[in-house]
Amino acid sequence: MKFFPACLLLVLAATTAVRAQPSFSATTVPSREIVTDAAVRRAAYLKRVQEVIDYRANLVNRADPGGIDLAAVATMLARHEDPKFCSEQVIRLMKAPGTGPFWMFPVVCVTYMGRDQLSPEAKKAMRDMWRTTYQIRGDTENHWAMYYISLYLISEMYPHEPASSWFTGKSSEENLAESREYIIHWMDLATTVGQGEFNPVHYIGEYACPLMFLASWAKDPAMKTRGHMMLEWIFADLAEGTLNGVPVGSHARTTDESVIEPSNSLAAYFSWLLFGNVPPPTGFGGWGIYFAPAAANYEVPEVLYRIAMDRDHDFLQQDLKRTRRRWRYSDVLFAPIYKTTYMRHDYAVGSFQGGMSDPIQTHVWDVTWAVPNPRAQHNVMFSMQPESSARSMQTYFTGYPEPMIGGAVNLAKPSYDSPDKLLGGSPYEQVFQDLDTIVALYDIPPGTRFPQVNGFFSKDLTHLTEDPSGWIFAQGGNAYLAYRPLAPYEWTQSHWAQAAIRDSRLQSDSLKNGTILQVASTSEFKNFAAFKAAIVALPLEFKLEPTPTVKMRTLRGKNVVVTYGAAPVVDGQPLDYTKWKLFEGPYLNAEKGSRKLTMTYGHLQRVLDFNTVKITDSVLP
Amino acid sequence: MNSLRIAWFFLLTAGAALAAGHDFYISAATNRNYVVGSVIVTVNGIFRHEANGEWTHIGNNDTSVLGVDFDPRDHGVFYAASINGCWRTLDAGKTWRCCTSWDMTEPMEVSVDPHAPDNVYLALPDGIAVSPDRGQTWPRRENGLPDRGKYTQAIRVDRTQAGRVLAGCETGIYLTENGAQSWRRVFPTQDVVTDLQQSPADPKLWLAATQSAGALISRDGGLTWAVMAGTPTDKTIYNITFDGSNPARFALCGWTIGVMTSEDSGATWTERNAGLPGKKAGFRMPCDPPPHSVWRVGVNPDTGRLYASVVGEALYASDDFGRTWKSLGLEGSAVNRFIFLPHAGN
Repeated sequence: MKFFPACLLLVLAATTAVRAQPSFSATTVPSREIVTDAAVRRAAYLKRVQEVIDYRANLVNRADPGGIDLAAVATMLARHEDPKFCSEQVIRLMKAPGTGPFWMFPVVCVTYMGRDQLSPEAKKAMRDMWRTTYQIRGDTENHWAMYYISLYLISEMYPHEPASSWFTGKSSEENLAESREYIIHWMDLATTVGQGEFNPVHYIGEYACPLMFLASWAKDPAMKTRGHMMLEWIFADLAEGTLNGVPVGSHARTTDESVIEPSNSLAAYFSWLLFGNVPPPTGFGGWGIYFAPAAANYEVPEVLYRIAMDRDHDFLQQDLKRTRRRWRYSDVLFAPIYKTTYMRHDYAVGSFQGGMSDPIQTHVWDVTWAVPNPRAQHNVMFSMQPESSARSMQTYFTGYPEPMIGGAVNLAKPSYDSPDKLLGGSPYEQVFQDLDTIVALYDIPPGTRFPQVNGFFSKDLTHLTEDPSGWIFAQGGNAYLAYRPLAPYEWTQSHWAQAAIRDSRLQSDSLKNGTILQVASTSEFKNFAAFKAAIVALPLEFKLEPTPTVKMRTLRGKNVVVTYGAAPVVDGQPLDYTKWKLFEGPYLNAEKGSRKLTMTYGHLQRVLDFNTVKITDSVLP
Repeated sequence: MNSLRIAWFFLLTAGAALAAGHDFYISAATNRNYVVGSVIVTVNGIFRHEANGEWTHIGNNDTSVLGVDFDPRDHGVFYAASINGCWRTLDAGKTWRCCTSWDMTEPMEVSVDPHAPDNVYLALPDGIAVSPDRGQTWPRRENGLPDRGKYTQAIRVDRTQAGRVLAGCETGIYLTENGAQSWRRVFPTQDVVTDLQQSPADPKLWLAATQSAGALISRDGGLTWAVMAGTPTDKTIYNITFDGSNPARFALCGWTIGVMTSEDSGATWTERNAGLPGKKAGFRMPCDPPPHSVWRVGVNPDTGRLYASVVGEALYASDDFGRTWKSLGLEGSAVNRFIFLPHAGN
């Protein structure tokens, strides 16, 4: 637990500058019209890639080499710009090398981008670094993806070199074999029982960048194809789980900022880059820059593009994911995550079943509504229990319990130990979703550190109304929202994202608690009053003691009974999660254990088959 | 030998250098502000204390070295448990090899069988591995451990019998008497057993530290255990140690426990924090460590000097078994192990 990822320390200087970032500074938002001409789509993609490269390379101030990092060098090399200067910078940077996965994959990027440009001295400086500098592997799935893909590629570049020439003390062939074995193991796990850090709003770059490198530069054709397939697997999840480019619903890893402003995220950067349907975040999200130098090697398939773009047709997607690895206090190493996303033109509702997916940075459920321009919009509503617990941390991390919470706070997870945070999952939350209805129940044991439920109410809501019926009504974009707190509450604020100062936080201090959310498009009702009347007219019974229970009819006509600790019952039938597939929906489908994802849009079909290591495109009759 | 000399280690006085009998090693890290990816500006890993009071860096510059053990036949062979796996040197630190693979991570302790030194035991967050060939291969040896609840933080080979090993796990203390072919639980716990130590004087006498069951004592070689009254059960005891120079003296430490000692073979315990850093003046961040938090205690078996690595502070030493303390420097460091190795040939 002393080794949290260090995004804050290594985030590129680029993140604060907006200079020469026209897609960010533009006052207009990208068109969401589907571009049918493949050549036009490709040209637009490459133009966006070039914008990223130019942005970072143009920030280079030669009078201040101290501000020149590996991203700057990589993007200059992508432009074939001044190899002599780039070589000098590489030599300088290798004199104070970093450690671990966040350092390794940028070095690999520069190594491969510079293999025909850098001086022999610069190449030697980088090669020597792999011998002299200890590289920590980390303790997280994204760490290991970066570490092993980097080690694989660099060992493949320098074959037949002895153990004494590597920091691992292993020969090139041993490094290569170990890396290959882990990469395949990880892909096997992700394609059979689900991804661990699923739909990572903040960490998608930590997967996408190294996978892009593997797909671009691996010499072994099978590993190259595996890199391509896994990259696309993650992008398929992104395409399915975004509303006009903005990530929605539940995620394994996000941030205090992104959880309330989802367009301000690395996931939105990749939506912009791949599909062009959302403005990019400032500085292209920092880490996202490393994708660009190799991005021309990737071609966005039309089926993926259309899945991401089409929000004219409602769809329900149910996916299987898995928790972070549990070392202690659990009967299983990985627990299943049952993820639901209901996507509509005007909004999306997404969730997983609650409980702990990861002790840090989880987002369990929300409604995200569509807005014309998502920049600076807090277009989400949700509730959560602000869990902070050394025992929860111990479940997932090794080490002593006492320093864990302070360690999390100290190292880039500042809100972790704060009662007013809006980020994180809880072992005391259980969530049921049916289409656009959410029932979140809480049974918080006495003595819990922050015994409360926080509800997020955006500054961007309109018509916020506390109805005598107990419902809180509001409108977000073209979505009518009905939020029902099941216990007394008060209004306050959260301060964990600077942008949150104008938002409101509902705080409810009852240990037995719950939230019901129902959503509809404004077009479905004559007016707001009609929506409110429809919600209030629905049968609803609930009790909180001894166990929170809700019995209700949803806006969509389902009769549901949700009891904390029991399987939800829908129209008399208990929900059976054991039948959940790896992906199930109109666009993405995969059987559990299959290692095969089928992407479908209209007549277009694309299959990623890890059993045969083949990608197959077809046009359905 | 990698002879990198570290200026901030000069603070150890020559008077503290060991008398004949044992070589003194530590595994230590100066992790202040270190996170994955950043430049390591400090020197970490294993250090040997020299007669002139200086420290020689043995390697590896790894911020996460926890357990360390040596081959009794050759003190140039070290094993180090760190976040990447088990590192091994066969040439006294000139070269290192991470001898485990991707399928083992974050070992917390490593222990060499003194009577069968090719056999090396590794405590893993998901069980136990045993190398039969000095770290070349690492088969799992978990027969008798539970499928879940085998998070293992401590492992110690009984120096009197080859293949007799005690392991401290999430669910208790486990014993093997056949080289980990099978394990049986000898003491159940609700949380992790954090440390196991065998008395230098009496090999039947063992001590254990736990997260929530206090400090334990066994007088029959680890077959039965009893909680020592007066040891904390509401806080994690990070480690416990014998004084090799005085068989009746024990010491333990932990987060907000600070240092506690017993001078009557564990019958009574006394807090020994006077003289250790207390509450800091001025503004404290919520994430600052509370006063009297100690990573590790160790006792020099030749002199009886008690060492305490104070969280966020420095290395402290006491020549009167905790009644008074003085700083020995190593500011900002976390000493994870104190290792006193009999001189070769002793």
